[in-house]
Amino acid sequence: MDPSGLTVFSEQIVTWTPSLEVCAFDVDPRVEISLLPSTWAESELRAPRPRLHSIAMAGSLTGAVSLSLVAAKPKILSFEFPQFMSWRKEGTAPAETLAVDELASPTPCLAAEPVAAPDAPAARTRIKPPGDVIKLEDRLFYMLQPSLETLIGEGALSFPFHPFPYQFEGVAFLYPRYAAILADEMGLGKTMQAITALRLLLHAGELRTALLVCPKPLVTNWQREFSQWAPELPVTVIEGDQARRRWQWQQTETPVKIANYELLQRDRDVVADLGLQFDLVVLDEAQRIKNRASATSQCVRAVPRRRSWALTGTPVENSPQDLVGIFEFLAPGYLNDEMKPRRMGKAASEYVLRRTKDKVLTELPPKTFRDAEVDLSGPQRQTYQLAEEEGVLKLTEMGPQATIQHVFELVLRLKQICNFDPATGESSKFERLAADLDEVAASGRKAIIFSQWVSTLETISSRLAPLRPLSYHGRIPANQRDGILEEFRNDPSRHVMLLSYGAGGVGLNLQFAEYVFLFDRWWNPAVEDQAINRAHRIGAAGPVTVTRFLALDTIEQRIDQVLREKREIFDTIFSDVEPQQKTGLTQQEIFGLFKLRSPNGPIDLAA
Amino acid sequence: MSNGDLKSQAALGFFTVLEHEQQGLIGGYLILNQAGRPLEFHCTAPVKANRAQQILFGPTLESYLYGEQIGQTLLGKSSLEPLVVCTDVELALTVRDYISLPVALVLTDEEIPKQASAESPSCIWRVDAAHRAGSHLNQFALGRNRLAVPAHRETDRQMISDRLENVAGLDLSEPFERIREAVEEAHKGTRS
Repeated sequence: MDPSGLTVFSEQIVTWTPSLEVCAFDVDPRVEISLLPSTWAESELRAPRPRLHSIAMAGSLTGAVSLSLVAAKPKILSFEFPQFMSWRKEGTAPAETLAVDELASPTPCLAAEPVAAPDAPAARTRIKPPGDVIKLEDRLFYMLQPSLETLIGEGALSFPFHPFPYQFEGVAFLYPRYAAILADEMGLGKTMQAITALRLLLHAGELRTALLVCPKPLVTNWQREFSQWAPELPVTVIEGDQARRRWQWQQTETPVKIANYELLQRDRDVVADLGLQFDLVVLDEAQRIKNRASATSQCVRAVPRRRSWALTGTPVENSPQDLVGIFEFLAPGYLNDEMKPRRMGKAASEYVLRRTKDKVLTELPPKTFRDAEVDLSGPQRQTYQLAEEEGVLKLTEMGPQATIQHVFELVLRLKQICNFDPATGESSKFERLAADLDEVAASGRKAIIFSQWVSTLETISSRLAPLRPLSYHGRIPANQRDGILEEFRNDPSRHVMLLSYGAGGVGLNLQFAEYVFLFDRWWNPAVEDQAINRAHRIGAAGPVTVTRFLALDTIEQRIDQVLREKREIFDTIFSDVEPQQKTGLTQQEIFGLFKLRSPNGPIDLAA
Repeated sequence: MSNGDLKSQAALGFFTVLEHEQQGLIGGYLILNQAGRPLEFHCTAPVKANRAQQILFGPTLESYLYGEQIGQTLLGKSSLEPLVVCTDVELALTVRDYISLPVALVLTDEEIPKQASAESPSCIWRVDAAHRAGSHLNQFALGRNRLAVPAHRETDRQMISDRLENVAGLDLSEPFERIREAVEEAHKGTRS
């Protein structure tokens, strides 16, 4: 205690530690107190005594959170694609920057219009990987290919005409496939699509050697088509004597070889001896190998190859087994005879592309069919029945000696009677035809009439004399035919032209005719279609009406029935496309028309 | 000619970024030869910015994701160096900051303003949103294509014109369609 008697506040005892606790005094700490007693007991008695309250302030220290704003690099999927050498040799022009001259005589029925300018349509046809390609890298390889329009429209490859969209789709279908059937209806350009796909693969370096096998009469057609659609591709046609052919087979300069089925069969050993291997083998009219046991089928299947394509408008002609036969070339064992048609169709769908004109050529005017079912007149019916009874009796008497030719003769005889009664000259068909043609002429239209017999055409011609019909058939000299066509085309007073299926069924452009009459029916609907397509083709001015004559309760109706049944089989397998059947009658079916037995056994297809 | 020789031929790069509502951004990079055939393809796994990145990167987030995160990573993965990299996404132009190659924006018809006619092959116009300032592009024609480079990359323009001279006839917008399909296929394949 100091002399003034005041207690000295000692800072040494009361301490302030703000970081740890808050100390508060109940009394003013500056009250005079003595905090330094001389003894412990004295200290106890001294008042007032400050009480300290402590509040914990330690808590947790402020945390610091660090955020990394630079994320890890994203994971990357990488693919590198193989680059193949083109079929062209070094030193020649780059494969994909070709300058191809336009051709003077394109085929208008197979193409839409001249190659579009670069800034024309935005439609792009992409190549889609087939369903059986599993590996992602392979799928991407196809998906990342340029669109076909890009290749064609931008001058990488020149085309005489801009293909139709469905043709691009056909090319895109073939391009990635190692096994494929292009089964488009006749006239849609299977040839052009196959050539284009082959051409693109060659230029991409994915092919170096290709073999095209076709029926002999079509070899020149394929040559012509190659020169039109792939003029830069050298093509070797296998032909000539054996030594020459052997030399041709060995040629490596040309990437494409064309051989007909018969020659390939003959040169089977040569192909094997030389160890030839093709990157692609294309079969045209592939229904030729529907019979697996045939020499043609075995020979074709023996050719070593990586890719197999089949072109046919009739993948099923008579039975589902036809398709199995073609698949033995494409993917042996993939289909089998025990499969039900629907299951077979489903299994084959990944490999088969089929389109019909009605579905894809929407710009064509409509085609209307009228089935003109006529009853034979009384005398005509009598003649018919007599002829049939006599004919069947004769065939029955012949027994096993009866051949397909005998039956065929009877069929033809009866069909002729259905046209005109040879005894009386009466014809129910003609009466109907004449009435229709009067109307056609009166309206200023043009009509074409088909028959399989020139004699029938001549009879019609004489009876239609007032209409001054023109005729185009086998008895018309070749040097007059062009003039006749020109006259029919340009002379407004010529309303009718009579044609035989043989002479007028193919190659003519008669799209200015709006009416087609099939006075009698051909054995094979494909031939009838070809005849109809003379008028119903690209460039047709308007709708085409097709009248099909059919004599009721006659052989014509029975034939029609058999063809309809076969069409149903086709429809079951290819159920997603328009019904089309392009086949004729088999030997057994012709016998069956009269409930006869063929030499091969009983018939159950009788009408 | 060996496989390697074929690959060393002049190539073109096509880089795009796809926006997926749930998954985020996916980058695709396709290298083509001059015939338009694929040489390489790379694509990223989906990239999505987290909340912190969204807040802290602010307006620079997109250019970071498109240019650095996706673009730089993707282009760095290729074994071939193309003549030019084309993109159809303006934001992807920012990848130019990370690579030495010129990058061109391929404009579609919808993106070309009416006043930018063929008679004025070089003009400056905005394609960015009005509120986003400073992103100007110099547009120019190359064959049938309309291209653009950032205004501050004007020197790229001549380089691009020179390098793409031989392929001016190509539709440079077409490969992006392929990339989109391939990205979808690749991600479908990796998910399954």
